[in-house]
Amino acid sequence: MSVDLTTCDKEPIRTPGAVQPHGHLLVLDAASDRLVAYGGSQPLAQAQAMAAAVEVPQGLVVGGSSVSAGRVRIDDRQWDVSAHRSARHTVLELEPATSETGNLAPIYSLARTFLPELQNAGTVLQLARLATLELKRLTGFGRCLLYRFDDEGHGEVLAESADEGYDRYLGHRFPAADIPQQARALYLLNRFRLIPDANYEPVPLMSLDPALGPADVDLSQAFLRSVSPVHLEYMRNMGTLASMSVSIVVDGKLWGLISCHDHAPRSLTPECRNACDHLGQLVSLQIAAKEANADVAERLELRKLTLEIVARLGDSDATLQRIVGESAPLLRLAGAAGAAIVLDDQVWSVGEVPADEHILELAGWIVGLGQDVYESHELAAHFSPAAQFGSTPSGKHIAGVLALSISQVHRHAILWFRPEIVQTVRWAGDPRAKIIDNGRIQPRRSFDSWAEQIKGRSEPWSVAEIAAARELREALIGIVLRRAEEMAVVAQELGRLNKELEAFSYTVSHDLRAPMRHITGYVDLVLDTDEGALSERSLRYLGHVKDAALFAGQLVDALLDFSRMGRAALKRRNVNTQLLVDDLVREISRQERDHHIEWAVARDLPDIDADPLLLQMAVRNLVSNAVKYSRGEDRSRIAVTAMSNEEGDGLEVRDNGVGFDMKYVDKLFGVFQRLHKSEEFEGTGIGLANTKRIIERHGGQVWAYGEPGKGARFGFTVPRRTTDALASSGVPDA
Amino acid sequence: MLKPILLVEDDKRDLELTLVALERSQLANDVVVLRDGAQALDYLRREGEHAQRPEGNPAVILLDLKLPKVTGLEVLEAVRNNPMLRSIPVVMLTSSQQESDVLKSYELGVNAYVVKPVEFKQFVAAIADLGVFWAVLNEPPPGSTKAPRRYE
Repeated sequence: MSVDLTTCDKEPIRTPGAVQPHGHLLVLDAASDRLVAYGGSQPLAQAQAMAAAVEVPQGLVVGGSSVSAGRVRIDDRQWDVSAHRSARHTVLELEPATSETGNLAPIYSLARTFLPELQNAGTVLQLARLATLELKRLTGFGRCLLYRFDDEGHGEVLAESADEGYDRYLGHRFPAADIPQQARALYLLNRFRLIPDANYEPVPLMSLDPALGPADVDLSQAFLRSVSPVHLEYMRNMGTLASMSVSIVVDGKLWGLISCHDHAPRSLTPECRNACDHLGQLVSLQIAAKEANADVAERLELRKLTLEIVARLGDSDATLQRIVGESAPLLRLAGAAGAAIVLDDQVWSVGEVPADEHILELAGWIVGLGQDVYESHELAAHFSPAAQFGSTPSGKHIAGVLALSISQVHRHAILWFRPEIVQTVRWAGDPRAKIIDNGRIQPRRSFDSWAEQIKGRSEPWSVAEIAAARELREALIGIVLRRAEEMAVVAQELGRLNKELEAFSYTVSHDLRAPMRHITGYVDLVLDTDEGALSERSLRYLGHVKDAALFAGQLVDALLDFSRMGRAALKRRNVNTQLLVDDLVREISRQERDHHIEWAVARDLPDIDADPLLLQMAVRNLVSNAVKYSRGEDRSRIAVTAMSNEEGDGLEVRDNGVGFDMKYVDKLFGVFQRLHKSEEFEGTGIGLANTKRIIERHGGQVWAYGEPGKGARFGFTVPRRTTDALASSGVPDA
Repeated sequence: MLKPILLVEDDKRDLELTLVALERSQLANDVVVLRDGAQALDYLRREGEHAQRPEGNPAVILLDLKLPKVTGLEVLEAVRNNPMLRSIPVVMLTSSQQESDVLKSYELGVNAYVVKPVEFKQFVAAIADLGVFWAVLNEPPPGSTKAPRRYE
């Protein structure tokens, strides 16, 4: 037999011009009931006798299904007759009558036992299982499968009931191409097909009317219709000689098939066929009802999840990343394997997701599309960089994305991810082992071809899931807007307070400095003019008055510097800290002539992206502190080393001075916090607070370690400049 | 005759200390003292009670920033907007390091901005330096005349 797979869609499957040999087919002219064609191995005379014996039922609907037309006796043989009408013809089909011992009234048993069970089934899956069990029992076939077709026509086996020795296909998928489009259309019309023996020899239709070619007879509704040789080859390759299938039609669409196979040839009585047909209709109705229920239930469930997420967010500080904290509702909402929240350059993720940089890239692209909700189950087809995403840590390829963008301006988005389907398909046994590789079409090859077709695809996002995402977005925007309003009020209040504070600092600066200046000024005048007339004690007292006023002036200045540091704009440049530290060491050494210091300044101090003046102030404070607190040592040792961690680059200054107790470490960096009596060590107590403020304004961090009597080390790091900033500033990387 | 130094200062203690400082700087210039911005402008424009004063601009104006009625910044602005007065050197003397004031002063064309040091010796040094630079070293614009020394 020679067939070409590519011709499947062109084959005249409704008008094959041939019939299967397990019965006789008579074609009568619809108007005159005259025999115009017949199929079967019998001589013309017998066909004519049959046509004469059968009483053509009245009232057949054109294009309707075949109906039973009773039983006729011709020459001692009983025949069961079925009849249906096409536009031009009445078609009669006669099969040898079987004894009625086997399936005596199968339709009653269906109604009695199967129907109540069907109604108890909670889900489509349970229903599918019941249907396969019942159909297998009813037909006696060796295996019964129930498939469901997805939107693209790919089939998935939902339920299976099979005897020993039959290949298992549960969870198995078949590509849409296995069932050509025109066959699907035919399955909608004619909901029951039977092939008792795949090895049959087709019997040609014989025409009695020269004007009527064999291919002019529409056999769509004939159960004897001869089927495509490709289909027969497929059956033989599957190792099944008999097959039968019933369509499941939901909302006018071919939802799926229940299909039975047997290793051996096997036929069915008309009663049994009727029962199968009936079962198909029952299952169709039940599935339609279940799906409608499931849809409502799914929407309800998703709405509950949305509310849960939103309620929790409303209770917290309403920052989106909180959603990831409790990941279960988030993942269930979209039936996703992973999810991520993107806020500008930050990513919070959970489950199976691509790497952060890929998520950011993708989120940027999606926000750029300007859609509220974006969904795709074959992402790489629309967003080519997704093909380079690689696999997740657990080895899955991400193919599906559902995303909602919270803002059109900022990269604020929630993304859900689904892996490629191929990796999630379950194999129930490997049919390859039992199939001799001689056919071009067989289930295993089908799977491979299906896998090829759905490469890079995930399960599609359901309408309910997309709607839920949309609903979540609206709820989130509601919250975000409310928070934004609250923030605006707070910001306004802060602005007002800040203005007050500035006015205050101005007053402090202007009005508090003046009296200090007057005190020192007049004390100096007294000393200058009347020094000789004053007692030793008076001179000492006046000295204290002057020192106190000077110190108060320094405090005011320090406080003003500190407040100014918080407001002045940062002018970042590339700062060579080696030069900076070397200069400082030279300067301080000059001031500290009486105090011998052993300096150990590393030669690999880094370049740092910072405001040069402020950084110098910060480093100066650290170095001065080290000098100050090691002054009591016989040999002051101060070391400056480079620091580098994932937060950035920086310096650390160590001394062998008085050190401090780690339990006070939090106080060290506070304004006017001192750990020593002021007469022991000079200073305003604001130096480290300034250092901390400067480093934190650069986005960096400071630290301190010490031990009483054993010295201390203070350090900081400042974030590295990003490559983007480097490129745009044109400063070469040193 | 040397042109006078115009000192505009409202705080009497600052005034006394500044005068002591000017005295110690041993400048020969007269010092004209005015106590608020409005008076200063009257003096400079020869208006009001200063209508009868002899002609001629001061060598330098030492101007406190925070003044009653018309502030130092407003005086500075008026001086710079007046073609007759525009060329007089103006030194802003102030307690404030408020950067907005510094910025504003330079925008308005101040010649120097001095934050009065708390330490008296430094204050004397600063005033002396200023006086020497602006009243002695700085070449006065053509057409300026001298006024007699005046004691307050």
